[in-house]
Amino acid sequence: MKILLLGMNHRTAPLEVREAYAVQEPGPPLRKLVESDEIDEGVLISTCNRVELVVTTRQPEAARLRMRRFFGQEIGAGRAAEDPSLDDFLYDVSDHQAMGHVLRVASSIDSMVVGEPQILGQLKDAYRAAVECGACGPVLSRLFQHAFSTAKRVRNETRIAERPVSVARVAVDLTRQIFEDLRDKRALLIGAGDMIEAALDALQRDGLGSVLVANRTRSRAEALAEQFGATPHALDEVGELLAGVDVVLSCIGGDQPLLSADQVRGALRARRSRPLFLIDLGVPRNIDPAVNELDNAFLYDIDDLQDVAAANVEERRRETLRAEDIVREEEQRFDGWLVALQAVPTIQHLRSRAEAIRSAELERALRRLELDETQREELEKLTRSIVNKLLHAPLSRLRADTDREEGLAMLEAARALFALDDPDAPGADADADGELMAEAAPGDAGRDDHGE
Amino acid sequence: MVELHQVVAAIYLAAGVGALLGVVLPAPRMARGAVWGLALGAVVHAIAFASLHRADPTPSLTDLPAALSLTAWLGNVFLLLLMWRLRVTGLAAIAGPVSFLAVFTAALRLPDSAASAVAAELGAGSSPHAHVLLGSAGLALLGLAGMAGLFFLIEHRRLKAKRPLTRSLRLPSLEALDRVNASALAVGFPILTLGVITGMLWLQEAMGTLWSGSAHETWSAVAWGIYAGLAAARFAGHQGARQAAASAVAGSAFLIFAVVGVGLLA
Repeated sequence: MKILLLGMNHRTAPLEVREAYAVQEPGPPLRKLVESDEIDEGVLISTCNRVELVVTTRQPEAARLRMRRFFGQEIGAGRAAEDPSLDDFLYDVSDHQAMGHVLRVASSIDSMVVGEPQILGQLKDAYRAAVECGACGPVLSRLFQHAFSTAKRVRNETRIAERPVSVARVAVDLTRQIFEDLRDKRALLIGAGDMIEAALDALQRDGLGSVLVANRTRSRAEALAEQFGATPHALDEVGELLAGVDVVLSCIGGDQPLLSADQVRGALRARRSRPLFLIDLGVPRNIDPAVNELDNAFLYDIDDLQDVAAANVEERRRETLRAEDIVREEEQRFDGWLVALQAVPTIQHLRSRAEAIRSAELERALRRLELDETQREELEKLTRSIVNKLLHAPLSRLRADTDREEGLAMLEAARALFALDDPDAPGADADADGELMAEAAPGDAGRDDHGE
Repeated sequence: MVELHQVVAAIYLAAGVGALLGVVLPAPRMARGAVWGLALGAVVHAIAFASLHRADPTPSLTDLPAALSLTAWLGNVFLLLLMWRLRVTGLAAIAGPVSFLAVFTAALRLPDSAASAVAAELGAGSSPHAHVLLGSAGLALLGLAGMAGLFFLIEHRRLKAKRPLTRSLRLPSLEALDRVNASALAVGFPILTLGVITGMLWLQEAMGTLWSGSAHETWSAVAWGIYAGLAAARFAGHQGARQAAASAVAGSAFLIFAVVGVGLLA
């Protein structure tokens, strides 16, 4: 059994390609995919930054072709059925790398903005969709559950998501460094713009008490006030409003600063020196930089906020090194489980072979001996106990979670030592009786053979 | 008894180190753990106080080591109460080590604090205990104001300098620190005043005078005068948060010297 992953992301494909392959409803195409013989299980991850298909298969070559066809024909909405350039955007990894990739994606190490929290929810949605349409089996279920717990570990044990990296979130973070509780705070929005609206939105989500809006045109102020549930004001009222607000967000055009240091000094006096946080996103700047020299006034312009955001990005990048260590550790753990899973058919095979030999030899002995029922039962128990005790150590070793290479070598050795692949070996007739359970998960099989 | 004080000192030290690491790394879990450590220290500290009665000879509360230990305990109780309402867990980074020093010093000196020497000399009654209790509470609260002031100045400076907040201290918000400062001053100054008054009553009962001119009295009176000025400036609105923080740091340093330093030197 192999795990394969085929996909494209923000590093390999531009947005117009990613959006052409984005899938809104992964259920129907996935259902169709797992109906084919080559694919056993499948999960389709589709976000704005990636489209990835993860499958398990026992026919890797055929499965690869099927997956490529899946991208080319079944999900590439609006693109040519066999887009020759598609391969330039796709990456194809298998087994260890595929598994590691899923863990990295879940942990947000592979995201465009490292540490962003949305990807985990998107991955959970993808997994849920696959489960609901019956495309997700025991291996991918285990892989995705493992990915979710790895993501949780990364989040708890590193600071990968601790510091904000957007200007809006940095503004909120700084506001929280100045004010304890935003519920009783009032913000003044001067002008408008995407960034300032994003900052205000983030502040409101953090519980900001109330908002005042001032703009050059009254109608624009009223429109913004309606959008943010605020009170509209004219621009020339700003000086008076300043004493009653705690946060000022400004982004308005003009050659001269709208707020001078003297105006802010007067407002601070009226505020009895309670702190005032001013965020100036205007270019040219709307607030005199000298305001930052005043006690209890904190002025941050766009460059200041971007500097903080850039430093936070760098901090997150440093944290990815620690996150990578955790992912590697978890990769090994999952690998051990996978090897143990692959050991199940061998364990079943070995047990059935041993049982066949025991039964045959016992039968032959019983034919020669004249024993009563009690003696027969005792002999039956004795032979069973001998077989169980002989097999206990090798089976336990095969079942143990080990790393991939050691585990696979052990499996190979077991098959060779016990001649499990030799059709002429004693007891080989039992192999055809359909007793092998290749699909059983580790832990499900052979657990009862400890009894003596 | 002394052993229990040593255990308390060790708990405070561990809590202080945890809180420092929590603030510096920053590691929020460690900081929260340190607060629980401080709470545990306060509980064991209360038990240690209760056990003082069983010691032979029983150290008097009016002796400096016991009073020092009481001040540390009250400071921690006040801080834990403040932490219940405000996000100021970072203050444990100063409160822990300071409490350790106070309790450790007390533990070293408690065995020598022979049979209520001061009480025997100056007489017994309710005034000495009221003086020590109120004085310790006032000192603890104004000490807390100083700690909050110190953190306020650090955070204020950092925000003004626009230094990136990454890989550096994670301190409480300026507003929370200012509230701690204001509340500690608002409650601490009247309590300290009552402490000074009960001290004078104690003197009156023991020596028949309200003022004996000792170094402790002189320095304490100067410290009280300074605090009266600070409280007036703060609550009359003549002081901004930063000036109030700077005043709290200077005031508490002076007060600690006036009460503890002069006592230790004596």
